[in-house]
Formats: sequence, structure tokens, C-alpha cells
Amino acid sequence: MELRKISIRQAAETVNSGEVTAEGLIEKTLESCSILNEGLNIFTQIAGIDALEQAKAIDRKIEKGEKLPLAGVPVTVKDDLCYGVLPTGFGSPAFKEFFSPYTATAVERLMDAGAIVVGKTNLDDMSMGSTTASSPDGPTINPWDPERTAGSAGAAAVATGICMLALESDSGGALRQGASHCGVIGLRPTAGQVSRYGLNTFCSSFGQVGVTAISGENVITALEVIAGFDERDASTAVCKERAAGAGTAVDTEGLRIGYPAAAFDHLEPGLREVFEQAREQYSAAGFECIDLELPLLPEALQAYYVISLAESSSNHSRFDGIRFGAVEEAGDLEELYSKSRGSILGREARRRSIFGTHLLSQGSYDLYYRQALRVWNLVRREFAAALGQCDLLMLPAAKTLPGRAAAEADFLDAWTEDLFCAPVSLTGLPSLCLPAGQAGKFPVGLQLIGRPFSEGIMAAVCDRMIREIELFPYGIS
Amino acid sequence: MEFEVIIGLEVHVELQTESKLFCACPNRFVPEPNVNTCPVCLGFPGAFPRLNSFAVQQALTASLALNCEIALFSYFDRKNYFYPDMPKGYQLSQYYEPIGSGGHLMIEDDQGNLKKVRIGRVHMEEDAGKLVHALSGDASMVDYNRSGVPLVEIVTEPDLRSPGESRRYLEQLKRILQYARVSDCKMEEGSLRCDANISLRPVGRETFGSKTELKNMNSFKAVERSLEHEIKRQGEILRRGEEVITQTLRWEEDKQETIVMRGKLEAHDYRCFTDPELPPVELTAEEVEKALAALPEMAETRAARFISDFSLPEYDAAVLTSSRCLADYFEACLECYNNPKVVSNWVMGELSALLKNAGLEADQSSFRAEDLADLLKMIDEGLISGKIAKDVLEKSFQSGKPPRLVVEEEGLLQISDHSELEAVVGKVLAENPDSVEKYRSGATKVIGFLVGQVMKETGGKANPGLVNELLVKKIEG
Amino acid sequence: MTDAEHGLDKAIRAIKIGVDVSEQEALDRELDRFMKWLKPMLAVDTAETKQVLVSHGVVNVLREDCARQGGLAELQEAAPDFAGGFYLVPPIIE
Repeated sequence: MELRKISIRQAAETVNSGEVTAEGLIEKTLESCSILNEGLNIFTQIAGIDALEQAKAIDRKIEKGEKLPLAGVPVTVKDDLCYGVLPTGFGSPAFKEFFSPYTATAVERLMDAGAIVVGKTNLDDMSMGSTTASSPDGPTINPWDPERTAGSAGAAAVATGICMLALESDSGGALRQGASHCGVIGLRPTAGQVSRYGLNTFCSSFGQVGVTAISGENVITALEVIAGFDERDASTAVCKERAAGAGTAVDTEGLRIGYPAAAFDHLEPGLREVFEQAREQYSAAGFECIDLELPLLPEALQAYYVISLAESSSNHSRFDGIRFGAVEEAGDLEELYSKSRGSILGREARRRSIFGTHLLSQGSYDLYYRQALRVWNLVRREFAAALGQCDLLMLPAAKTLPGRAAAEADFLDAWTEDLFCAPVSLTGLPSLCLPAGQAGKFPVGLQLIGRPFSEGIMAAVCDRMIREIELFPYGIS
Repeated sequence: MEFEVIIGLEVHVELQTESKLFCACPNRFVPEPNVNTCPVCLGFPGAFPRLNSFAVQQALTASLALNCEIALFSYFDRKNYFYPDMPKGYQLSQYYEPIGSGGHLMIEDDQGNLKKVRIGRVHMEEDAGKLVHALSGDASMVDYNRSGVPLVEIVTEPDLRSPGESRRYLEQLKRILQYARVSDCKMEEGSLRCDANISLRPVGRETFGSKTELKNMNSFKAVERSLEHEIKRQGEILRRGEEVITQTLRWEEDKQETIVMRGKLEAHDYRCFTDPELPPVELTAEEVEKALAALPEMAETRAARFISDFSLPEYDAAVLTSSRCLADYFEACLECYNNPKVVSNWVMGELSALLKNAGLEADQSSFRAEDLADLLKMIDEGLISGKIAKDVLEKSFQSGKPPRLVVEEEGLLQISDHSELEAVVGKVLAENPDSVEKYRSGATKVIGFLVGQVMKETGGKANPGLVNELLVKKIEG
Repeated sequence: MTDAEHGLDKAIRAIKIGVDVSEQEALDRELDRFMKWLKPMLAVDTAETKQVLVSHGVVNVLREDCARQGGLAELQEAAPDFAGGFYLVPPIIE
């Protein structure tokens, strides 16, 4: 059974029907995980025996007549999501052997639905970044080019076909840019759809749990499993007012797609054409493309950084070396703090915590932080107004092609990469990244941004366009 | 130079709830360290706070009992600072928008006039853990049992003018909060903690002088004494023409003096910002109305009821309602023994003396209200005399044995048997012919002496009325 | 000292992160560039705009006041220095 030729639902059916065993499926998956990991540095941990035990348990359930929506489906979990079975590293060298005493809600729900966690995936320093370049284990390599970074290890795992589903996190765009750079489908759901319990988020306002797979249908299958109210994350209370998940089947006929032409001026040379072509393809497929403007994108990006840095300085203050983290010898309290925090947080996380502290301190708070909160409000309004004129918005996901794996990027250049993703995070709207076309040998993705809880529409458009343009991800070899 | 004393108090009160403010850990004192802890109150990565609905209700009740305006929309902020007892590196506290503000309570000033003390704010916050300093001195130990326990902080305006007023404010505050069933307010156990801000200014001046903050007072008396000490100290400094340094002082109860804790020259920058993980606290006008209507009966109302319903003197009503548990005790006793004035005398007299000696509140004694009722019944039944009853009360109070058992074991039953008493009466008369003579010659007051002699002979167990009767009968023959 | 330098020094002390001299020098330049980079955001006219107060959910679901004891051993195993039921830190003189 070739995982990238069938849908998650089909895979689960073959396991549920007894045609293949979860154990057999996972055994093969683990093999390819090990082989591909050598070259691509996708995993911080491969599950091995634990995954096989889980698969056997699923097989026993199926023998007893149970049907599970994700029976035997191999998934990867980003290493900022707590998972009790394997060490949870958070992207810090001090947590190499840390076993979280609990498992994240989203992981738990996937497992309850029959999915098998085959490994934890690589991530940036304390998951701060959209490239994996600042990972203490080095970057994950892009399956399309060994010289480049993948953007997200989960996306690389899905793109290579070793896994059907990647559970990931996204604050400023890591999930979406990874999907874009690897040519797969990544969904950042509506804020509050998916519980973040167990996600070490550096930014509580914008951090979300999302999924990556090779089709809109697949991400929705996964979303239906993980979405919904969880008393352990108050933000999911929005799901109490309405049913969580993708909603009922949708008709994509005649949908209007907002196209903010001026935004595409920010792209690296050579990428704009991909989106102009995409616009034509969407029009040809029967969508009405509407010109509109999103003038606040650059300021929204800056506001995102002010708020997320401020929050990260506070969120990461819990890493004080007292209740968790590696042992540090210290003669006094100040030394304990300084040593523990200096070693738990890497260069990027230290930079962000320190800058965030500066932004919140007297003098900066009123000038920068409060202004950022007001700009945040304006950005919400700007997107809401745009979605008043259309059903979906089209934006790029990444500003440039994936970065070079060997070179250290300038921090501001790296932050500026989030220009198209971070503003969307401010709105809490769902965003789905799918392939738009290619630039040279590289896949280039676009974001479709919809109204709250419109993931189903976005996924339907996605699958229709993938069939229309016959592009990635089905073309990966 | 004459100085006016300006005092403001900040009181932290632990709310009575089953669970902590943001997690389900028990809110209960236990001697074993770190037993009542979980990922949330230990600040583990990925663990989010969930607000306790009853804690909100308790804070609302406290605010209403203190005549506050209620904010229908309030929220929690993060107060960022590092200390080992603060697991997240920040304290969640209602810094910008307290649930209650603009309240007051009434006290007697030093001249005995009624005075209004304004309460600036009542806000919810979480408690910190506890640091234990090992004797060996090679480590300090942290216990997080108290971490996340719900508190309200009650802050007065600088309205208090003397240590005596401050003590009376605290007594009144404690009474109100106990009546409202919000907290047990036991300062010795730390469920009520008080910091004081104090400054002096020349009489007639409008502006405030520089203030100091006093901490670590463990009783109302300690608050009063530390303030007296600080008034003296500041007065001496000002009389020398020097300036009082703004600083935090720690009261040392053993030495009856203050020591400097930390310079406040560089004011601590807490970098407060609104917590992004907790939804706002929203109340409706109806909920506030309901809470107001459900406010338990306060001391003044209860005293008035004692006067009107039980015909008690004003003095008795005031003493009995001085604490809620004493008033509860009184009323519980009435349930079984309906003679208010008699019960009042015993509660205010013998019982209160025993409680005071033992350092207990009425609800902490093993001598229950039912026991007192039973004791009083035994007097009415003629089983024991009032004098013996006092001994029985004390013995029963100390031993925890029911009064009837004490009477039985100690053989204290009153002698009402005619023949038994007649023998003693005969003996006493025979031994005191002078007194008999005096009585017969008209000095009938001497009968008291003779009764006393019989009581002495019987170890106080004789029924004095009966003895009197028998003596008269025998002498008058 | 420039404003950024002063701010940086204060921030490093407040957030208690050990950085060496060369990193601090680099951070100083970076902070300066970052603060300049934020200028366009400061120029946005927000006179009529309220700040976002609540990032998540308009619906609030409060927790019932029920106590529950959690698993402790696993939590405490994660501690670098734990003995006799206590988390240990270097001696503190208050």
C-alpha cells in the first residue's frame, strides 16, 4: 500500500477491514522513517517499539470489531507538543531526556482515533522560527533540494510520503511556510478549534495546533478528530457555541476569491509570476477573483513581533531550572537563573525573550506594546472587511524560496519571512496552505484564508484546484 | 513638631474554595510538601490556567460585603518577576481591572466616633508557594502546595490615622469576611496577611511624606506594635531634619523591631500585561443582584436581631456577634436550650474565658454548643448546682468528654436526698451552736454561713435550696 | 550608553538570562535595528482604535470548583534537584 496514493480515510478502511494490519503498516513506516531521517534530519525521536506496541493494540481493537477513523494511520508530532511516551524536547538542548508527565490533547485525540505516533519532529529553538534553522539539532533538509531547509519537519515527513499526517504548531507561519516549501497541504485552523493543552507555545495569543497532509480531505479528516472543546484550554470555549470541525459538505461553485495584488509586490523576484498564474487558474476553474487591498501587512507583521516577543519573554520565564530542565551547578539563586535560562533557551529564544522584556518595560510598554495591540485591532478589521467582499482570500505563504541550510540568516530577514503568515495569525482566521505552482524546481504555496470555521470550504477548493492544475503533491517522487 | 500619621493597609485573604484558582488541586493545608500540585500550578510547559467559578463568586461576595462597585468585565494580568516560589515567573493578578473598587467599611476612630475607611480595590490573584530555609544552609526548599491558591487583595486608601485604627480596621474586615463566609481569616495560619504603608507629615500639611512598607506581621497585635515602632522611628528621623527613605521593612517579632528588606529606590518593573490565556471574567447585573441578595447576614444585622428576637441587652448582642462563629455557637445552643439570657451569660462569661485561654475560636473547641445546652439543662433539672456546672464546663472543655459523663465519673451529682442531707445538717448545727443562737435571736443572715458549712461538708454537691430549707426547719424546729 | 544599550542591559538583568560579552554586543546592535524596524507600526494612526484586550474567545467557560489530586511522581521526576518532598534551590537569605 503506497501511502501517498490513498487518502487517510482509505488507509484507515484497509486497516479497519483487516486487509492490512496496523502493525505491518507501522513496521514499514518506521523503516522508511529511519532511512529518510539520515539525509533529511526530520526527527528528534523515532518511536520504534512504542509505535509497534500501539499498532498491535489497535489491531486487537479491530479484531474485537471496533472501527476507528484513523486506524493505523502513521502521524508525526512536532516536538513542542507534549507526548508522554517519547522525550519532549521543545527545541532545547536541556530537554533531551525530558518525559512530559502528560500528553497534549490533540495527540491524545489522534491516538484515541487509532493513529500511531511514529516520531517527534524537528523544530526551531523553542519552536521560534519558520525554517528549523535554529534547531539545536540543525535544520531539516528540504526533500526538493538538499541545500535548502524544509521550513517544517512535519511537512518534509508528509512530502516524502513516509507519513500521512503531521501534527504541528503555527504561530507566525511555521506550519504554513513548511507546507509551502515542501509542496504539501497545511491547515492552521480557526483560533479555538483545536486545544493547545500540551503545546509549549511561546505565544499564547497566536500559537495554534494544526495539521499537514497531502490533501484537503486528509487535513479535514484529521481536524474532525482533534477539534472541539477541551476544558484544559479556555480558548476552545468557542466550540461550545457551534459544532467544531469543518462543517457540512460545501459547494465551491461561484466562490469569490480576494486577490490583494499590491501584497505580491513584497515577494522575492520570480515568485510574483507564480501567483499571477494561480489567479488565472482559479479564474479558469470558475472562481471569481476580486481585487482588493490589505495595506497593513507590514505593520501587522511588526505588531505580531511586538506581541509575540513580549509574550514569549513571559511564557518562557517558567524555564527557571527548578522544576524541569537539566541540572546546573549554582552557588546562588541569580547564578541558577542565569545559567539554567541561558542554557535552556538558545540564541534565538534568548534574543526574543530579551527583546520582549525590553518591549514590556516602562517606557516601551505604552509606546510599543499598546500600539501593537491597537494595530492588532485594525488588522482584524482589515481582514474582516476584505472577507466581506469575498469568500476566501489568497496570499502567499512565504516571501522567498526556502533558505539555504548552511547559511545563518539575519534575524530580521528571517522574521520578515512571516510577512504573509503572521498577519493572518493576528486575525484568528483559518488558513490553508496549498501548492500554487513552482519556481524552478521549488514548490510554491499559497494561503487561502477563510471566515471562522470555514475549513471545509477551504479544503474543498484546495482539492479541486489540485486536481485542476495537476501539481504537487501528487507529483512527488 | 506634631505629626499626622498616614496608614494604608494591603490585606491578602485566602478564599475558601475546594480547589485552587486555576487548577483542580485541593485548596487545603496539608503538612506534606508538594502534594497538592499539578502541571498547571507547577507552571509546566503547555499547561493552561482554567478559572475556578466559585473563586469568582467568593471574590464577588467579598467585594459586595465591602460595599464595592463591581466590574462586570474584568480580567487577569501577568505580574512578571522571578522568585523560586513563583513557578511561572509571573503571578496572575487583576492588575488593571479589579473585580471590586470604591468600597468602604466603618470603624471607630480613636475618639470613639464612627469613621469610614475607603477601600480602593478588591482584586483576585493567585498565591505563591512557600520557601523553607534549611538549617544546614546549603539549600532552600520550595513547597508549591500553596501555589495557585485563590486570594483577594483588599487595599485601603490612606485613610487610617493610628495603629489603633489599623487594628480595628483589621478586626472589622475579618469579621465581615468571616460573616460573608469568604475566608476564615486566620492570621496566625496565614489565611489573612497584612502589609502596611506608613508615612508621617506635619499636622496641617496636604502632601504625603515618603512612606515605608511594613511586612511580616503575624497577628493584629504585631501590626499595631510594628506601626507604633515605625511611627517612633520616622518621627525621630523627621525631627532630626532628615528624610525617611522609601523602603520595605520586615517586622521582627522576637526583637520587636524592623529590619530593611530591600531598597525600593529602583522600583520593581513588573512588566504587567493582560494574560492571553484566560478569557475575561464577565458578570451580568442579574448575577451581581443575586449575589447581593444572597449575602449572608452581617454582624450589625445579626446583633439587631438578637436584641429584638431574644430580648438580649445591646451589650450582649454586640459581644456575641463580634465573631461569626461565636454567634453561630450561641444560636446553636439556643436550638437545644431556649433561654437566651442564660446562654448568653455562659457564652460571654465562662466559655469565652476558656476559649481565650486556649487560643481557640468557638468553632474549634470540642465543647460543642449542644454540650453547653446539656450542661444548662442539668442545672435546671437540679442535677448539679451552678457552681459545680462551672467546674464541669472546664473539665469537659479540657478533656473533650461530654459534661454528663464528667458529672457521672467525678460523682458530682447534686445531693437532693433529704435523709442524707438531714444528717449533715444535724452535724453542722451541732458543731455551731453560736450560730444557731444568733439565728434564734433574730440575726437570720447567719443562715448563709450555715449553708456554706453544709456545702463544704458535701464537697459542694448539696442542693443549696434544699439545705436552706432543712436548716430553717430544724432550727425553728 | 545609548538608549538601546541601556534598555538591553536592564532587560537582560530583568529576564535573568546569562549571555556573554560578544552576544551582548551583538544583541545591542540587533535591538537597535529591531526598534528602528518597528517605526512604521508606530506611525499607524490608532487614535480612534481601542487595543485588543482579549485575544481568545468571547465565550468564557469557568471550571466547577471540584478538587482532584493529580499524579505526582512523574511531575517530580522532572526536577533537577528534588529531595525530601521539596524542590531545592541555592540557599536564599531573606
